[in-house]
Amino acid sequence: MSEDRLGMRMPFDEELLSGYLDGALTQQDTQRVRVHLEESTSARALLEELRMMREASMSSRIETPGDAQWSEVPKTPASRWSKRAGFSLLLVWLTVVSGVVLWGVATGTEAWWEKALVFGGIAGLGLLFFSVLQDRIRTSRTDRYRGVKK
Amino acid sequence: MERRLVELAREGDPKAREELAQRCGTAAFRFAMVLVSEREVASELSQDALLRFFVTLPSFDVSRPVLPWLFRIVRNRLADMRRRERTPAGAALRFAVPIEDWLPVTDRFADPHGDIERLELQQLVWRCLGQLKLPHREIIALRDFQDLSYREIATVLEIPMGTVMSRLHAARMALRGHLLETGYHFGERR
Repeated sequence: MSEDRLGMRMPFDEELLSGYLDGALTQQDTQRVRVHLEESTSARALLEELRMMREASMSSRIETPGDAQWSEVPKTPASRWSKRAGFSLLLVWLTVVSGVVLWGVATGTEAWWEKALVFGGIAGLGLLFFSVLQDRIRTSRTDRYRGVKK
Repeated sequence: MERRLVELAREGDPKAREELAQRCGTAAFRFAMVLVSEREVASELSQDALLRFFVTLPSFDVSRPVLPWLFRIVRNRLADMRRRERTPAGAALRFAVPIEDWLPVTDRFADPHGDIERLELQQLVWRCLGQLKLPHREIIALRDFQDLSYREIATVLEIPMGTVMSRLHAARMALRGHLLETGYHFGERR
């Protein structure tokens, strides 16, 4: 309880403790809280508890994703899904087409250098594809958040 | 966040845009983590908000602070997400991930003795945040994690200034109640 200008006892509004903690009160309300704190042990205890909670929250350090994650055109779930689907479809298409071409060339009547040209080209593309795949697997293995269950 | 940085980003300066994206992305992620408490969801939510942030950047009034505007976008995106998933707005969090898997990282070596107690309270605060309703989590995230002023909080939450203190106090008292339910005793640590 505190006194108004006429000396009447007024009930203390507990919300003022949060405002006091945050330094968001007027001079008059700050004075009211100070007077109340001098009189009330429970108010002092509550203020201290609120202060401890706020300090614990403010000092929490949340591990954030790396800076590379943030770009002005970030990846949305839809774009990530379409990228994965496209990558899988491309892999299937390349395998089928390469298989058909290689089978045709191997069983055909082309000259040896023509066969070597086709086999060499497809082997080169396959190696490039394999290296990209290897990089992606390595990246996913070193992902800091891979252990977090979805 | 510096006004000049926002102005440069609006003019199309690539370095300023990149720096703004990183700062806003990190701030949005931290805010989202308190709201949803799941790294994967917070990451998607903050990326989504960042995209929207840059779409609306040309119409942004640079005399206003950036963070309240950014957090308002995050909040709106979360509301959209919950609408899609038909989650009631006031519902408490359901932890799909065991809390030990995503507890915030704290510098345990800065002050080993004091940090053990602080870390315990930090972990309990995070655990109990998940039991609060969204309006309470939001206001605690904005004041106690982001240190926004009451005026800025009123802007983000679209509520009168006078409501901020009462809602914040109610949220803190709810959080305190959950902490006490876990068996935590403030008195022993004072």
